[in-house]
Amino acid sequence: MIARTLARRPRLSMPGITAIMVKELRGRMRGRRAFISVTIYTLIVAGFAWMVGRILEESARQNFGFSPQYQSASIGRGIFVAIMFLQTLMISVLAPASTAGTISGERERQTLDLLAVTPISSVAIVVGKLFSALTWVFILILASVPVSALVFVYGGVAPDDLLRGYLMLFVTAIAFGALGIFFSALIRRSGAATGLTFVSVIVATVGLTFIWVFLRIGQANNLNANTLAEQRPPEALLFLNPFVGQADVACGAEGGTGSWCSIIADITGTSQVFAQPVGGGALIAPAAIAGGGAQECFSDGTTTTCKGGAGIPVPAPVVGNDVVVNDVLAGPESLRDRFWPRSALTLLLISLGFTAASVQLVTPTRRWRPSLPGFLRRLRLRKSV
Amino acid sequence: MTTIVRTQGLVKRYDRTLAVAGVDLEIEEGEIFGLVGPNGAGKTTTLRILATLLEPTAGEAEVGGWSLARNPNDVRRVLGFMPDVFGVYDDMRVWEYLDFFGRCYGLSAPARKRIIGDLLELVDLADKRDTYVQSLSRGMQQRLCLAHALVHDPKVLLLDEPASGLDPRARVELRELLRELRTLGKTILISSHILPELEELCTSVAIVDRGRVLASGRIADIEKRLRVGAVLRARVIAEGEALEAARVWFSEQAEVASAAILPDGLVELGFRGDEIQTAALLRDAISSGLSIASFSRAASDLEELFLQVTGQDETIAQEAVA
Repeated sequence: MIARTLARRPRLSMPGITAIMVKELRGRMRGRRAFISVTIYTLIVAGFAWMVGRILEESARQNFGFSPQYQSASIGRGIFVAIMFLQTLMISVLAPASTAGTISGERERQTLDLLAVTPISSVAIVVGKLFSALTWVFILILASVPVSALVFVYGGVAPDDLLRGYLMLFVTAIAFGALGIFFSALIRRSGAATGLTFVSVIVATVGLTFIWVFLRIGQANNLNANTLAEQRPPEALLFLNPFVGQADVACGAEGGTGSWCSIIADITGTSQVFAQPVGGGALIAPAAIAGGGAQECFSDGTTTTCKGGAGIPVPAPVVGNDVVVNDVLAGPESLRDRFWPRSALTLLLISLGFTAASVQLVTPTRRWRPSLPGFLRRLRLRKSV
Repeated sequence: MTTIVRTQGLVKRYDRTLAVAGVDLEIEEGEIFGLVGPNGAGKTTTLRILATLLEPTAGEAEVGGWSLARNPNDVRRVLGFMPDVFGVYDDMRVWEYLDFFGRCYGLSAPARKRIIGDLLELVDLADKRDTYVQSLSRGMQQRLCLAHALVHDPKVLLLDEPASGLDPRARVELRELLRELRTLGKTILISSHILPELEELCTSVAIVDRGRVLASGRIADIEKRLRVGAVLRARVIAEGEALEAARVWFSEQAEVASAAILPDGLVELGFRGDEIQTAALLRDAISSGLSIASFSRAASDLEELFLQVTGQDETIAQEAVA
């Protein structure tokens, strides 16, 4: 009996995932649909990049006093950041849109039962559907790589910056895709599932960021706060916002100092040495520049901005109340990757959670049943037409 | 003959309603077993429990020797399920549809190719191989759904109302198909609320209502027990013992399964004969001296039978409460 049991029960996770993916991709990639969507996506990215490039070139022409190399690098960085932000926006819409109807669609078409009686596991159903939906999004993202690579013509962006940006894009797609799958498994009707998915995406990005900004205002005026940590709302509020992650990637491209970096510095509270009034109000000296190059730094009292290509800015030793940030002194590299790796990790962990929850919801004979709030229960139980 | 599907005290309770209230079934290998009952009798719930789509609140079930609770995946491998309402995927060709389910069961590519060809021949869709599924007619979709349930060569087929929504011609084709499957050694469990549909097809049936099995076994036996067939009502001008004598006379006639005196003095007969035999019965009754004022064939569909049976159930339940 045991031998028979072992012989008859191969794990069907991988073949199951393959089966679902083959089926889904056959549908998604059939005909000219995939070709057209990739073309449109790439054209939007390329067109936007071209326009941003034109704008930046025009404004550079009116800037005097900067070296051409600096100007070119600044344009390249501007285009890079614009491309990444635009793609983050598009992926934040496309990824959840491509997953939010998958499982609820099966329920609406009454095909989920046909799947559930086969030996493929609920894990295979959810993961297969997530991957096939994401494959489509990944193809869009990858199609934009050649366009993004054109910024190397201008300079100012290193290949590893591009890699960071694209990693963040993929993570964004996975996280918001998993969110879509979760609502798709939770709610019977595709329309409602899609709507709730988008509401959640907006809450995760705009909503939490707004709360962070609100808390920031409140705490900036808190004169009793002596340490930097007390002055900052928790940065974790912004982990779900891939735009902030991309801002950190942009900060990396700036070489650790610059306008994007000042935003990230404000969030993470690490590079206060540059110009923030701290605690009792000691103003920190503007950064001194070592290693020269085409660098200019200036301070407006709240932020210090250094612009430069190859030069390494080294901040002056701090004579503040209680702020001696050693890792800042250690060099600019420590200012890189302050935020986005943690944001990416959080997004990935959350996707894992949503995927696991979806698997539970898809399993027909699950023992654990969520007790849904009233309005969700009504959405769920309503008979599909 | 071995038992291939067995349920014991199967209970399924939704929030307040009891959909299945202790169903015991035993189905032998190779049978075409009908599950008959009005809408809401618990047929679909029972089938869905057997198909591992629902977890019973209580009770146990085995399919092909595997326990539903402990080895659901093994159960899934030995059964094919065709739900009462089923959808089809958009954007899929007929062969892709079967290929997809073949992959779901882990069949190798050559095996899938061979089986898809065979199945399309079997359900007579070979010329529709490259047609999109959604453009098939209802009857063709039904046959395709049946084919999908056969991809992994299951021992047991669960068909929930397979003939609903089909025109008479498609019904006949479906019946032929099911007979063919039986010769291939499949055990078929089929549910319907139309008894005649099953009568010609099934070797055994279980009649269910309100989640309980009221009768099960071979159709002929059940008919006798439940007085299925025509119900004749005769008003005999007689009272007391004479009326009882008339009842006894009727009960001794051929094709009369039962005879009872109703409270209003009518004699009700369970009758299996056709109309000619009905006429003969009336002739014989008159010639043997019974004074018959009226003689009629009452409507005898399944619904009426259920009303009778469930009516009895209610009285029993009320007595139990009292």
